Amino acid sequence: MPLRAFEETVLPHLDAAFNYARWLTKNSAEAEDVVQDACVRAMRFLSSLRNDDARAWLFAIVRNTWYSRVSRRANMADAMPLDSARDARLDVALDPEERLLQQHTVALVRAAIEQLPVDFREVIVLREFEGLSYKEIAAVVRVPIGTVMSRLARGRERLMAVLKLTAAMETLR
Amino acid sequence: MSCEHVERDLDSYLDNELDAATTMDVRGHLNECAACRRRVNEREALGRLVRAVPYHSAPDRLRARVLAETTRTSSVRRLLTWAAAAVLVISVGGGGISLWRSAATHGDAMVDQVVDSHVRSLMASHLFDVESTDQHTVKPWFLGKLDFAPPVADLASIGFPLVGGRLDYVGGRPVAALVYQRQRHTINVFVSPALSDVSTRADVRSLRGFHIHHWVRGGMSFWAVSDLNEAELTQFCGALEAS
Repeated sequence: MPLRAFEETVLPHLDAAFNYARWLTKNSAEAEDVVQDACVRAMRFLSSLRNDDARAWLFAIVRNTWYSRVSRRANMADAMPLDSARDARLDVALDPEERLLQQHTVALVRAAIEQLPVDFREVIVLREFEGLSYKEIAAVVRVPIGTVMSRLARGRERLMAVLKLTAAMETLR
Repeated sequence: MSCEHVERDLDSYLDNELDAATTMDVRGHLNECAACRRRVNEREALGRLVRAVPYHSAPDRLRARVLAETTRTSSVRRLLTWAAAAVLVISVGGGGISLWRSAATHGDAMVDQVVDSHVRSLMASHLFDVESTDQHTVKPWFLGKLDFAPPVADLASIGFPLVGGRLDYVGGRPVAALVYQRQRHTINVFVSPALSDVSTRADVRSLRGFHIHHWVRGGMSFWAVSDLNEAELTQFCGALEAS
């Protein structure tokens, strides 16, 4: 049954789909809409899924869903609201001072990733948070493995530069 | 190997995407070059910072919305899907079947069962019966609960800490499930006595977005399941086999 197959195949990867969508959209409400639409598509195309690649397959659908929404919009920059709902879950075991420091660092790193162009941002998210191999990322993003490699390297270099700059600016305060 | 080569391969090296020979070359160079070592350390620190950013888990209301929507669509689609599947089977013959999600094409119900069990353990928040990072706590816990003693190794030193164990039921018999963690990824290792004493090399499969490794060693059958990438799961299984 398609519904049972869907529950077994797609639902276990809902968190991963949402995390990816959240990093693409930079907005929780929009990420929910993207994942919802993607799941309906996934349900429809379930029969095209081969056995082995449900998670990467779902990422590709999430990505296509998001891109078609974005391209429908007249002005992408205006339509992309700023990130308002930060749902950082922090370690409550830390003392207040440490927690503040951690909160601060996490916010800086998150902001730095969100500022990256989406081509770099998505490969970093798929690699660092989802642990996808280069080959799997290449299949999701539909570029050659060499492109995945160079986007990862350049994305990380930019991230490093931004974070170093931020750290340097902090010392000037 | 020169600094330029190492710089070019830096990300692939840290992401375990290099072949064994090149990895050895990079390691050799790092032993001798402090500048490249610093670069590697910096990149590793960056990776830790990035991964410390909290994961965005799907809100419960999204799960509910998705289920409600797909249940509604499925009743309409069911007929269409079966009609489409029928057309597919008729038009491409037996080959069409392989497009359909089914463990039967793998010819191995065990693969389906270990993946089901893995998914269940993550969804039902019943990952552990015994939660401990200490192999000397986990191993004795199974005593008296199973008619065999599963070997329990801790691989924390190479970045795969043991986090607990539980009793599970796979392939029509009780098995020991050992739970390991790699960053955000959970690895379930199902251990039970093998049907034969003959050791086998790892048989690697993928199903529904999970990777599965199966091998037999010391009369025990091992099934490792995770959504971890293939390279790291292979590294984990290699270390477990060698332990």
